[in-house]
Amino acid sequence: MNQPVRLEASESTLLACHECDTLHRIPPLTPGHTARCRVCGAKLLRNPKGGLDRAIALYSTALILLLLANAFPFLTLEIGGRSEITNMAGASWSLYRAGMPELAVVVFITSIAGPGLLIVCSLYVLLALRLRLRVPGVRLALSWLSHLEPWVMLDVFMLGVLVAFVKLGNMATMHVGTSLYAFVALIGVAAAATSSFEPQLLWQRLGVRRRR
Amino acid sequence: MRARNLGLASCHTCGLLQRLPVGGHGHCPRCGSSVHLRKPNSITTTWALLLTAMIAYLPANLYPVMSVVSFGKRQSDTIISGVIYLFVHGDWPLALIVFVASVLVPLLKMLALLYLLLTVQSRSPLRKQQRTRLYRIVELVGRWSMVDIFVVALLAALVNVGTIATIEPGTGAIAFTAVVILTMFAAASFDPRLIWDHNGEA
Ligand SMILES: [Zn+2]
Ligand SMILES: [Zn+2]
Repeated sequence: MNQPVRLEASESTLLACHECDTLHRIPPLTPGHTARCRVCGAKLLRNPKGGLDRAIALYSTALILLLLANAFPFLTLEIGGRSEITNMAGASWSLYRAGMPELAVVVFITSIAGPGLLIVCSLYVLLALRLRLRVPGVRLALSWLSHLEPWVMLDVFMLGVLVAFVKLGNMATMHVGTSLYAFVALIGVAAAATSSFEPQLLWQRLGVRRRR
Repeated sequence: MRARNLGLASCHTCGLLQRLPVGGHGHCPRCGSSVHLRKPNSITTTWALLLTAMIAYLPANLYPVMSVVSFGKRQSDTIISGVIYLFVHGDWPLALIVFVASVLVPLLKMLALLYLLLTVQSRSPLRKQQRTRLYRIVELVGRWSMVDIFVVALLAALVNVGTIATIEPGTGAIAFTAVVILTMFAAASFDPRLIWDHNGEA
């Protein structure tokens, strides 16, 4: 086990920039402020406004919206008197049906499973810290989050919906389903939730003590 | 002052600054991840992933990503012809966004990684700030290239009306997704601190 670098009688944090390795001593940040590297400009540490409560509220809302987005029809297409209804999972299901299971898995992870896991893990960590619960797996959940983040592509999926709309516009009629409204709301809430969440501050609350 | 000069490294997962044992590898006392002075085999891994992505880039653009089968007629679209279709039939702003996301971004991303690898290997002392910023952009924008795959998946899900019209995903989609994922992993395995390491200090 490595030796953590401790600061004597000080509330400030000692950090190395993860992009250029410059050492920084960061004083406690006022809420809403971000510390950046003075050499390369990378983000070092953020103190989001509203603390844990705001993050919990936003992630709870995001969870409800994600469930709604998956529960109802997403888009309906009318063509030649027939209509085809699809839901969120329909996108990856169509790839599976076309004999591309590997692609189906990628789309499923980036549009449904990844966002779901990210929201659930974030809520788990936030609630455990807020309610001071001694529950297992908090550290594990928090370390998963940093690896999960690039694979959550709700915003990219939304752009895909827009493009699909335009491509089908002149060959069929499209109707927006309940889920699509929930999905659009989810994009906004998820962005706000991400900016209310700073993993490094949560790690600082958890501290270095670790059970094996 | 740089952490490396003091034998310190920050954990990639939780950010904790720690003193590494001789050899430069150990486990983080806060989150349990393995911690290294620099990402292990960063250059070799990035090269391998980047070259694989470059090879996959050819079928990704040559093979159709989807086909429209309508009244027995089949029309196939590659990534490029899909963008051209949008320019001709759709609206300009959207066509431009898709052109950037699915043509420019993958291409520029691979060139940027190539440039970063070559300058790090030649121990270039030039434009460190700009190269670090370039790396940050590469890491950030890569995921947007997935947009075309989502479009194909959605179209295939929606347009499945028997003989009138059916949209099928094509093999190009698999290769294209491989390019996006491989370059994302390549960017993740590149260690930007290497840009700053050769300062005439060792
Ligand atoms: Zn820096
Ligand atoms: Zn750690």
